[in-house]
Formats: sequence, C-alpha cells, structure tokens
Amino acid sequence: MTGRKVLMNFEVTPTSHTLEAYLARGGYQTIAKVLRELKPGDVTKEIVASGIQGRGGAAFPAGRKWQVVDPNDGQPHYLIANADEGEPGTFKDRWILENSPHTLLESMLIAAYALAVRNAFVYIRGEFDQPYRRLAAAVEEAYAAGYFGQGILGSGFSCDMFIFRGAGAYVCGEASSLLSSVEGTRGYPRNRPPRLTVKGLFQRPTVVNNVETLSNLSWIMQHGAEEYRKVGTAKSPGTRLISISGHIERPGVYEVEMGYSWAKFIYGVCGGVPNGRKLKAVIPGGISSQVLTGPDAKIMTPEEVESLTLDHDALWQMGSSMGSGGMIVIAEGTCMVRLLQVMLRFYHHESCGQCTPCREGMGWAHRVIDRIVAGQGRPEDIATLRYISKFNDGTTICGLGDAAGYATVAFLDHFRDEFEYYIEHKRSKYDGRLECLPEAAHA
Amino acid sequence: MPEIFINGKPYQAEPDQTVLQVALANGIYVPYFCWHPQLSVAGNCRICMVEEEGRGVDIGCNMPVKAGMRILTESDEVRAHRKAILQFITLNHPVDCGICDKAGECTLQDYHYQYNGTPSISHDRKVTSTKFYDLSDRIVLDNERCIVCSRCVRFTREVSKSNGLGIEERADGSLVRPSTDGSFRDDPYSDNVVDLCPVGALLSRSFFYKARVWYLQATPSVCPGCERGCNVDIWHRKPEWFVQSLDAAENTAIARVTPRENAAVNGPWICNKGRDLARIFERKRAGQAMLKGRPVDLPNAVAEARRLLAGAARPAAVVSAWGSNEELEAFRAALGGRVTVVTRQDHVPEPGEVVEDDLLIRADKNPNSAKLRELFGNAAATLPADADLVLVWGEGFEFARIPPGAKVVLLGSYLAPENGHADVFLPISIQTERDGHYTNFQGVVSGFAACFPKAPGVADAETLFAGLAGGGP
Repeated sequence: MTGRKVLMNFEVTPTSHTLEAYLARGGYQTIAKVLRELKPGDVTKEIVASGIQGRGGAAFPAGRKWQVVDPNDGQPHYLIANADEGEPGTFKDRWILENSPHTLLESMLIAAYALAVRNAFVYIRGEFDQPYRRLAAAVEEAYAAGYFGQGILGSGFSCDMFIFRGAGAYVCGEASSLLSSVEGTRGYPRNRPPRLTVKGLFQRPTVVNNVETLSNLSWIMQHGAEEYRKVGTAKSPGTRLISISGHIERPGVYEVEMGYSWAKFIYGVCGGVPNGRKLKAVIPGGISSQVLTGPDAKIMTPEEVESLTLDHDALWQMGSSMGSGGMIVIAEGTCMVRLLQVMLRFYHHESCGQCTPCREGMGWAHRVIDRIVAGQGRPEDIATLRYISKFNDGTTICGLGDAAGYATVAFLDHFRDEFEYYIEHKRSKYDGRLECLPEAAHA
Repeated sequence: MPEIFINGKPYQAEPDQTVLQVALANGIYVPYFCWHPQLSVAGNCRICMVEEEGRGVDIGCNMPVKAGMRILTESDEVRAHRKAILQFITLNHPVDCGICDKAGECTLQDYHYQYNGTPSISHDRKVTSTKFYDLSDRIVLDNERCIVCSRCVRFTREVSKSNGLGIEERADGSLVRPSTDGSFRDDPYSDNVVDLCPVGALLSRSFFYKARVWYLQATPSVCPGCERGCNVDIWHRKPEWFVQSLDAAENTAIARVTPRENAAVNGPWICNKGRDLARIFERKRAGQAMLKGRPVDLPNAVAEARRLLAGAARPAAVVSAWGSNEELEAFRAALGGRVTVVTRQDHVPEPGEVVEDDLLIRADKNPNSAKLRELFGNAAATLPADADLVLVWGEGFEFARIPPGAKVVLLGSYLAPENGHADVFLPISIQTERDGHYTNFQGVVSGFAACFPKAPGVADAETLFAGLAGGGP
C-alpha cells in the first residue's frame, strides 16, 4: 500500500471504465451536488483551499491559475484538459483515461461550472488509441445521460465537451502550443505576456490543466478541501500517480500519497532493481527533471535517495522536481553517456524550431553527444554542452529549452567522470548498455 | 504616460508600447531580427534581449512597459546572451557572404561584427539544406542561410494576405515553403519578402548574382506604375565602379528597385510591378528627331514643329499623365492658352495585371493623373474633329483617332512604329534622366531624381514646350 487513495480507489475490471460502473461507485453525484448547492465562486474557493498543485510538471497551484479568470467578465472562457502526455517515462494520464474517464469528465464539469466555461476540450495525444476510444465512448455515454449539453441535470448550466486529437508533437503538451494546435495552426508556443488565463484559446481566457490535476477535483468537491489537506504533506497535499519504468521489477502506474518514502516505494511496492543489481540513479519526474544521485554528486549518496520522501518540496531541495511523475529507475552499470544521447536525440527531434536557442541548440547538443558516443569526443565537449544548456535557460519561448538544459546539466554534474572517461578512452566506462542484465551477462 | 528608465535615464513611453519600441524611438539601439514595425510580434529570434533590473533578461520586443521599470540594454548579461544567440544562429548558417547577394546589407553580418566577433565554438558539421529553391519564378530561397525568423511568413499572412508561405518540419530542419495552391506565386507583393529577410535567404531572381550592393547607389524615385506613386529607391552603379571594358550598358541600367519608406504613401512596401521598373524604362529608346521619318537634328525639328504650331488655326494637344508636375506646368504656361487640351491615360492595365486591390495597387496605371486633373480639370477625352494640328505627348496614342488631314507633332521616348509617321517627331527624356515630382491620387507630392545622364539626342519636355511656343504669334 502506498497511502490513501484519491483516484485508484476502485477495482479495475474490464468494465470499470463505463458509466454504469462509475455511477455504481457514486459517480456524477458530486457535480449534481455542486450544481444544486454551490456558486461558481465557492468551487474556486474550495479548490484554492485544497492547495492542489498542477500535476503536469511545473506544480503551479491550480487554484491560483483559476483565480485569474473572472467568471462574470462576460466573455467566453475555455477549459482544456491536457492529455498530451508526451514526457518520456510518463504514462499516468493514460491510466485515468483508460480506466476512469468519467472521473475526468465529472471533474471537468465542476471546473467548467466554476470558470463559467461553455465549451471544454480534452486535448489527447494522437498516439493514444485505447485511451481515446475509451474517452470518446465515455463522452457519448455522458451526453446520452444528460451530463453534457444544454441545462445539465435540470440546472441553468450548459457545457459541451470536445475531444481534440494531437498530431504527435511533444511540444503540444506545452499549454500555449496546445492552444495553437487546437486553433488549427502549427503547434508553436506563444510568448508570455499575455498569460493564457488572460488571452488563451481564440484570444479568450483559458485554463489548461493536466488530466490528473482535473481528475482530483471531483474527490475534493465530494470530501471537501479540509479532508483533501489531510492527504499528503502540508505543502503538497493529495496523492500523485507515479508511472515507474526503467530498471525496476514491477513497472506500472501507482498512486502514491505525497510524502511516502522512496525506499518503501521503489524496493517494497515496485520490487526494487531486477537481477540483483544496485540502484544507480533515478530520474524522478520524466526526463526533463534532473537526474538524482550518482558517484560524483555532492548533494547526495544512493543511501540518501532512499531516505527521500516523494513530494515536491523534498525533491526541490535536492535540486530536482516531481515533474510529471514519470519515474525512471537506472541500475548500476548503465552508461549515462548513452542515456543522455537518447534524451538529446529526443529533444532534438521534438524541438519545434520556433526560437533560436532551442532550434539550433538541441541539434547541436545532439551532434556533440553523438560524436562523443562515436568515440570522437573532444575535452571541450562537456563545456560546449554546458554552454548550450546555459543559454537555453530562460531564453526560449516555452519551458522545453530550459528543461532540456537542466536535464543535461544534471547528467554532467552527477556523472562527470563517466563523460570524461568516455571522451578520453573513446569508450564507455561500463559496457555501454542501457539494459539491466544479470551480473554474468555484464561481465 | 508611464516613465521608464533605460540605462539609468528616464524616458516617456506610451502605455501600449514595448521596451524595444521605446528604446528604438529614443535612439537606443537594441538588435533584432524577427521584429518588424509593421508585423506582429513573433519573439522567436531572441536577440533583442534586455535586462530588467531585478528580473533578469527577457526579450524586449514582447516586454510591455511598466511605470518605473529599469531596463539595461548593455549589461554583461545582455551582451553574453546576444553573443550566445549569434553563436546559435551562425551554427548552421553557411557564412557564404562572399557569394551572397545580401552581403553588405545583411543584418546578421552587421550583428556578428558588432556583437559577436568570435568564430563558432562548434566542431560539428553544419546541417545542410536546400539551396536555390524557387518559391516562385521571382524569389529564390536558400534554406541554409534562413534563420527562420518568420518575417516572410507573417508578411504573407498579415500584409499581402496571400497566406502564401509557411514553415514545414521541425527543429534545425525547419523550412520555409510556399503553399501548394500557388498563392505565393500569384502574390503581387511577393518581392517584399526579399527586403524583409534579415539574411540572404530570400533572393530576387532579377537581382540574383547581379552586383555587389556596395557597387551600387540608391537614387530616390517614384514608381510610375500606378497613381499610388510609391516612393522607391532605384539602385544603379556608382560612377567609381563603372564598368570600363565589357558591357557598358550596365552603367546606366537599373540594378534593382526597393521601397523607400513613406508612411503617407506606401509604408515600407511596393508591389512587384514597382520592382520591374527596368521593364518600363529599359525599352529601346528613340534618340533621333525626325520629320516624317527623315532624320534631322533636334533644333531643326523643334523649329519645324514651332512653324507648324504657329501656322495652325485650331491646334489640339494630347497631354501625358506621365509628365512630371514641372513639365505639366511648363506645358500649361507655354501652350495652355493656345491649344485645346485633351487628357488621357497613357497606360491601361495589361492582361493578367492586378487591376486594383486594397493595399497599394490602383486601377489608374499612370503616375500623375491627379496633377493632370488639377491643372486641366475635366478636359475633353476626345480630340476635336476640326483640329488641324495635334501635339501628341506620351506613348500609346492611337493615331486612327487623329482627324484626317491634321498635322502631327509627336513627343516620345521609345521606339515605336508611329514615330516615323508623325510630321515632326521629338525624342524626350524619361523619368530616370531628370528630376521632378508626381502628385499621387491622395494629393501627396513625391519627388524623383535623375539616376542617369540623358540619352544622346533627347531633350527634356519641360524645355521643349517653351521652344515650341517661342516663335508663335
């Protein structure tokens, strides 16, 4: 067990994603109660009081984002659930969409009510097939049952739901490029100001929240913010869906209460590193969060990682973040140079090419690391990678350039000796593998 | 009016301005590639970095002014970022300035010397891409030189509204490409993207490898293509770079035409017809005065015309809408009281030409129709049937409309079959050979200057009129 449950509080069966099953576990009663008893402002107050942080990566308080939108300003507002789950290592929203799409839909109704939204969207990753079909079926069921459309449940509140499928760009998971994509243009991020809550979709106030963030709302409105605060830690209330992958015995999606111990989670719940190997490093929240631990790290040793707790503050203190909750476990003997090569190839491929530092920098970094891996590294290459990262930090339109830079610098900081070894000896310090094989195979 | 501080000095700003606009308006130069005063903010080149004290660096083109904000444009942080951005931009740029038409007026070249000045720190091969890609039969694109600032794309979306260009692919493989429906090929303003391009990625076919820009000088002029009268610069060889041995005609040829910004007339744009002034001015010139096709020298021809005019009882004159204000006034002063004036449009839209649109192009394809109307009012459009002498000034007049038996004095600049049929033919100079002014349809007067010496044997119409009237009764 990993603490209290907010989302995974039912048994997954072949039919647990249907409306029937959702109603049987008390579904759509919260929205009925909200429409009956509460004013939009009360909902927002409750969400602010719950202190829920965004689950997409930046952990921005969701309530604060909502407060910028004035429901009574007379213009249309839009609500978008960001289901463009593209961060490598992350597959938690997929679990919600596949197993409990109605939780998301009911929560979005609550949010739409609070923000005076007439048209709500789910922007779903194009590669998601099963999740898309389940979500589309759920929307149809909900329409048929009168949860969407005109005058929902006899109230004066109307809301329509649209599903928008992405076309396979990582950058469209960034809120502003997601909006560009919905508008039908190229998925380019937009400059801030203006903020999206001021001028977003079609130049109207728009709230973009992660699927997991939104899915928490029905629970919060059902049990109250006070009850929600009791889950998790004081600064990071609630739970996180952690999708754990990599060199781990039992990969998958787990719901973990904030503040739960890493050691118990990795070694107990997930069964630890397979083939009797030791833990080398952990990327805690998708590849854009900084890798933790390593022989050269000044901030911590492998033992300290295991004493960590899983919440935003603990990870921020370690110089990393919970990110999108996509945890990647890396076993002893893995070549970090090759791992960084995989990551930089991804960033190069997914850079949208709009602004200069990322457009040119990602390709540059990719070519440098390719050269190192090919055994043609130069001593100054590490400084070049740092240079590229430094001038992607805060100079790009969206956060992807910064994130790629942070991730790169964390690799260089924590595993500097491996990079230097590779450049000097023109081969990996280990055997260059990314797989986690039994000791015998490594030797 | 918020007051902001740039480099410690206070400046007044409009509330809707950005920091970049305030800085530029006050003579503080902040480099920029993608920003353009007439286009929307894209904020993608990232070189206009400024530092807001206490908040770090950010791009100036998208930074709204706030009262009391303190901006630094030359701090160490800002310089470091500019330098890094130039490292990124030149990373995959071929730096083939030696064979680039843009060299000498290239923003990237200027900024490199001013703000970077160090060679690339990269050891890797540059990303190669398409060279000589024809966006249309007028514009060539070199994708390796392109810095993806999106100015050209925004121009076709926001100004010419053809939506003719877009960006394909991602990251350092991003490519500017024309839309598949051919709307860029048909865009009558497409050549403006060449001027907009801050590097040598977009090049004009007609100027392709034609001259280094430092061999050229720009003479202010006015496009005679329609009654808009767009202000242009006509580029031609500087005398010190005249070709001595080979094709000397290059010395008096129009190398290219670019817009000269005039907010009251054309803003910073001109249409493609204006780029092709050479097609109007560089036709075969008439340089020989003639009497019924018999060559004579100019003074004799003028004397003959004066004699005919003095002897005519009911002379009429067809006045050119291509005459400058000065010429039209000289005509009125010398002959206006003597002759029946007929006005007309020398040029009418050619087949396939855009007749009129809501940006610049006007249906009247003559530069000075407004002045003509001002001086001669609504003069008759047809010749009086009893005219016994017709003075035809300008080209393209149908000789069939001249009353039978009337004498014809023709003033023309170009070789034409009718020149030899006129009783007197007097060759006159063209716009690029003289100074003058045109009045456009809005009443704005724009001046042009001579680019080249007069062709041999021709006279200015302005002086001819006095000579024609001189001996009259």
